[in-house]
Amino acid sequence: MVKAKRKPLEEIAEAISTYGKVLTVGCGGCVSVCLAGGQREVYELNAELELTFKESGTSKQLGNYTVERQCNMDLIQEMDDIAEGYDCILSMACGAGVQLMAERYPDKPVFPAVNTVCIGVDRNLGMYEEKCRACGECVLAYTGGICPVTRCAKGLFNGPCGGTNNGMCEVSQDVPCAWVEIYERLKGQNRLDDILKLQSVMQWQNQLQRTVVQPKYEKRYYK
Amino acid sequence: MFKKNTAGVDTDLIKKRLDSRKAKMKLSLAACAHCTLCAESCFLFNARDNDPTYMPSYKFINSIGVLYKKKGMVDRAALQDIRDVVWDRCVLCTRCYCPFGIDIPEMIAFARTICREQGVFPDFEKEQKHAG
Repeated sequence: MVKAKRKPLEEIAEAISTYGKVLTVGCGGCVSVCLAGGQREVYELNAELELTFKESGTSKQLGNYTVERQCNMDLIQEMDDIAEGYDCILSMACGAGVQLMAERYPDKPVFPAVNTVCIGVDRNLGMYEEKCRACGECVLAYTGGICPVTRCAKGLFNGPCGGTNNGMCEVSQDVPCAWVEIYERLKGQNRLDDILKLQSVMQWQNQLQRTVVQPKYEKRYYK
Repeated sequence: MFKKNTAGVDTDLIKKRLDSRKAKMKLSLAACAHCTLCAESCFLFNARDNDPTYMPSYKFINSIGVLYKKKGMVDRAALQDIRDVVWDRCVLCTRCYCPFGIDIPEMIAFARTICREQGVFPDFEKEQKHAG
């Protein structure tokens, strides 16, 4: 799932400082699961903001609402009436949610309250690890389930490079070399042939905005 | 006369919410013919060995349906039961299909909204603690 981290309080307070009525909107999707922008975090943020503005002698009306998913217009629209009464919106969703919210209310400033960090996995309570960069060209089949785009500092498709050093990466002795791990994994599975196959260069499809249409829906969207 | 214990629940607010979409929701609830076609489109129903409690129709009848039936006069335990249905048995993927055009995701989302307003929603921190 998408993983996010709340922005520093000062940055959020600065963004909304000139607005009197602020609606903090949480998202019931990924950011709830990673404890960054769900309903509980909305309450926490508003409590902190209230204290901050009280200390600085500023009067502000802080509202709160949580939609099930800010990346779905049908689910956002239920807060149309509520949004009407506010000067700006503070979205605690990922970047996709913030943008859809801004699209829904083009006349209203929408500010992000979290930094969207990555697509990752849950390692422990409140601890998440990046696993995927959504490059659009998955190579996990021949890398033993270890992503070189995410894990290798150079994002190499054919590795390791000359900078590998006793299992660690040249960028830091604390960073394991992804390609050594790929080698070990493939060796364990008796699949070392895979590492010898030359992979063509990445097309870097994520340089442009992408749209995903599943094959069975192509007829509906492409004439 | 027996009075339901609705302590800790703002039943007036629930009633207000229910009234705001009464026509559409009541029509949707009445239109359900229990044909079970929606079940086929629910991946959770398929993944849970066709457990009928994962049928989309079961989920909206036992969440928003209960709220309308009881006219919002529910206690906290009932809201928690609804929470288990609308969050644990539905991921709101919005893929459920109804031949009558009932907007099932909207009904589930509405039930969630009402639960949220009453402070009844999943505690992901607790869930992760248990998982860990």
